[in-house]
Amino acid sequence: MSDIAISFELNGEKRRAAVAPNLLLVDYLRDHEQLKGAKIGCSRGVCGSCTVLVDGTPVAACSKFAFQIDQASVITVEGLANGDRLDPVQQAFVDHAAFQCGYCTSGMILLTKALLSQHANPDRATIIEWLSSNVCRCTGYSQIIAAVEDAAQRQRQVVP
Amino acid sequence: MNAQLQIVGADLPRKDAMEKVCGRAEYAVDVALPGMLHAKVLRSSRAHALIKRLDVSRARQAPGVRAVLTAGDIPKHFMPVYGYFIKDQPIVAVDRVRYIGDIVCAIAADSEAEAAAALALVEVDYQDLPLAATIEAALNEAAEDLFPVAPFAVMPSYGQGASGQMRPQKNVCYEFDYRSGDATAFDRCDHVYEDSFRFSRMHHYHLEPFAAIADARTDRIEVWASNQNPFPLRKELARIFKVSESSITVHVGHVGAGFGSKNNCKAEPVAVMLSMLARRPVRFCLTMEESALTNTQHAAILRLKTGVMKDGTLVARESEIWLDAGAYSDASPLVAEKAGYRIPGPYRWQYIDTRCLCVMTNTAPAGPFRGFGGTQATWASESQLDMIARRLGVDPYDIRVMNMLGLGEAFQPGESGIDSDLKQGLDLVCEHIGYRQPRRPNRGKGLSIGFKDGGGVKKAAQARVRVLTNGDAILNFASVEMGQGIRTAMTQVVGEILKLPHNRVSAPSINTDHVPFDEGTNASSGVAVMGRAVEAAARGARQRVLEFAAGQLHCEVGELDLDNGTIVQGTGPNAQRSPLGPLVMGFYGGPGFEFSADGFYMAPVDHRAPLESPCVFWEIGWGAAEVEVDPGTGLVKVLKLVASGDTGRSINPLICKGQEDGAAIQGFGQAMFERMIYSDRGELLNIDPLIYRVPLAEDLPAEFVTITQQQGHGPGPFGAKGAGEGTILPIASAIANAIEDAVGVRITELPITPERVLAALERKAASAPGDAHQDEH
Repeated sequence: MSDIAISFELNGEKRRAAVAPNLLLVDYLRDHEQLKGAKIGCSRGVCGSCTVLVDGTPVAACSKFAFQIDQASVITVEGLANGDRLDPVQQAFVDHAAFQCGYCTSGMILLTKALLSQHANPDRATIIEWLSSNVCRCTGYSQIIAAVEDAAQRQRQVVP
Repeated sequence: MNAQLQIVGADLPRKDAMEKVCGRAEYAVDVALPGMLHAKVLRSSRAHALIKRLDVSRARQAPGVRAVLTAGDIPKHFMPVYGYFIKDQPIVAVDRVRYIGDIVCAIAADSEAEAAAALALVEVDYQDLPLAATIEAALNEAAEDLFPVAPFAVMPSYGQGASGQMRPQKNVCYEFDYRSGDATAFDRCDHVYEDSFRFSRMHHYHLEPFAAIADARTDRIEVWASNQNPFPLRKELARIFKVSESSITVHVGHVGAGFGSKNNCKAEPVAVMLSMLARRPVRFCLTMEESALTNTQHAAILRLKTGVMKDGTLVARESEIWLDAGAYSDASPLVAEKAGYRIPGPYRWQYIDTRCLCVMTNTAPAGPFRGFGGTQATWASESQLDMIARRLGVDPYDIRVMNMLGLGEAFQPGESGIDSDLKQGLDLVCEHIGYRQPRRPNRGKGLSIGFKDGGGVKKAAQARVRVLTNGDAILNFASVEMGQGIRTAMTQVVGEILKLPHNRVSAPSINTDHVPFDEGTNASSGVAVMGRAVEAAARGARQRVLEFAAGQLHCEVGELDLDNGTIVQGTGPNAQRSPLGPLVMGFYGGPGFEFSADGFYMAPVDHRAPLESPCVFWEIGWGAAEVEVDPGTGLVKVLKLVASGDTGRSINPLICKGQEDGAAIQGFGQAMFERMIYSDRGELLNIDPLIYRVPLAEDLPAEFVTITQQQGHGPGPFGAKGAGEGTILPIASAIANAIEDAVGVRITELPITPERVLAALERKAASAPGDAHQDEH
């Protein structure tokens, strides 16, 4: 198997890489880029712990090959904060204690980023519909929903 | 309550907030060591079989393979079996496999893919044995014995009224019995009712799988584990591998949830043994399917015989519980003890006789699961209480109130008193569910009080608090942070006592070489048991600082206070404030100093208490549900779910709420749909994460309310109790009780599927009125 040359953007930085055709995106991020915020939970694209944004769309990185990000822009949870200044979504998750064990948190935060990029003012039903694509086994979701509602409000205040 | 608290009781940001929202929190799965190999295991495809031939010769030659582990590769002087009380689980199969998923052999290779490819070259010849995939099948006289030779076992010891027995019969690894009161009480009852219940089995579904990284290249063993009890793990590894505990280091960072499953050995023994064989560090990380095959909740059959007076007074109860322990004992004896012991519920009785058996079946081993036997017991006892109330024409609220234990009243002879006002909690959930409002057609409301003894039995905890030169503090303790927020809560306790802002108290992750011994993070013991050790350590460290300062300032300790790293002498505007740093360096010199103190707590041992240690605190979960039942399809819609616990005092209310939410929704999933489905052939039919269904955000009841009570009667710091398990307990029974209220049928088996409800409705329609009160003696 010869490697595939790809070029893409990772958290705002241009990147080139040669990846094996069977290398999963999540393994590429975790093992080759040392970006371990994307977590492997179910390996079936169900739980969403490995969610990253590819061209703004949330995808399960366990169910995508690394070569599929050629020419794309990838955002991982590590790309959200600006130094110690958290993204409003991250800050909302902190303020609402919207995580417990933290294993699903990267995915939930990125899912929320994508949701808020499409719906600046999502109603509760829309939030629940979006969040239902990822699993959190700890929180019972209420505090995550509260964080998303709060993040939406903060984001509207930031973006005129 | 203490009104002057500054830090305890505040919704401070979690200690782990920044690392968790930035993706920096390190879990065992993230640990990578130089030269690390990757392990995969071959799992049995047979539910019960002898291994006639195991040929790994081709696998040993496969690309990238560095070590192959079969039973024959384990040095003879090791003790290659483990378990809590019964050492029955082999690291890899010895002569037989006992369930689909049992580990046959293991391979360490340069990559997981190479290890997996090599496993495909392993040849195994099995000779099938008769199998028993259910409790009934395993108890059948003709059933094959899963353990023809009795494994080594240690009996737990008990106090007044309680006893245990190893292998009382074939395929029962343990039996717990508890008896108290007057056996003739049944004779005086107006009515005696017998009812049976079935409890389904869930997979913990912790998102971080079982994982361990082991480095055993030298005569030391170092392990990075996703594990809830690092010190018991160290001890078990020392026993297995015949090394001194002082030669083993266990590291535990963040744990991606456990819910009970990550106790004792899981991935660790395979990783250690492969590392010894390969002389390289080895990572063994399971998949989610493998995790489901490694540890599960206990399915159960529960039979209750309850004698009452016609006014609803509870008199006597006899119970038999059969827990499905799966193929290896794991924590089953302990779960049996708790399921049996909790069957009376928080009520007054004249007689209790309870018996709980752990039945070995050819299915995945069952172990601790949030609620720990209390979930099973509450499902049966709170369901039956409503059934009895309706048979007697007594309101389900009234039957609870007239029989419930009062604040401070002993649960059983020799036990500690109930430390929650049960009626206060029940009234609260009644009010939120609108219990007294009239019912609409096909709608009903149900109540339940979940109950368990919390804090563990004879559990000891230690902690160390170090106050640094400038007054900052470090808390060294071994409670595992697995989401429950223990690091945050405990640093808030330290901050409160040292009057130090929360951000000046740190709590590093666990390394067994450097943190004081602790028994483990389970039984909701963090705040009520470890909390007392932390509190004592913080008070001790504060005292040492003040004694030092008194010497420097030539005054009495009693004149001084420590406030935000400053020594305060006197009060009011004339108070003298001396920063600690210059005082310390003035005496000890430039490098400064640390004032360190250890704290210890252990519940008193008392043989009059049935479990030999009066319960540290009682964990109560009040539940109320409103449902709407579609009589055409049996579909149950939970319109509103109310769950409430009593933390005594919430050290961090937001975190406490998260615990109550999460536990209640786990209980809700189990009530409505979540379960592991086993075939009679021992196959786990819904193991794939694509089809195993856990609650999603969209599954939440239309209205979901949790209320944290702070009644103030807890034994922990500032009146706190443990939390995190209470609200899983009452959910299923509250919903079943609401269904009977709505449509007059009783569901006695979980989950409450539309099929079961519809079948019950059809049975009701087919039977003449009056037949519903079966089994009356």
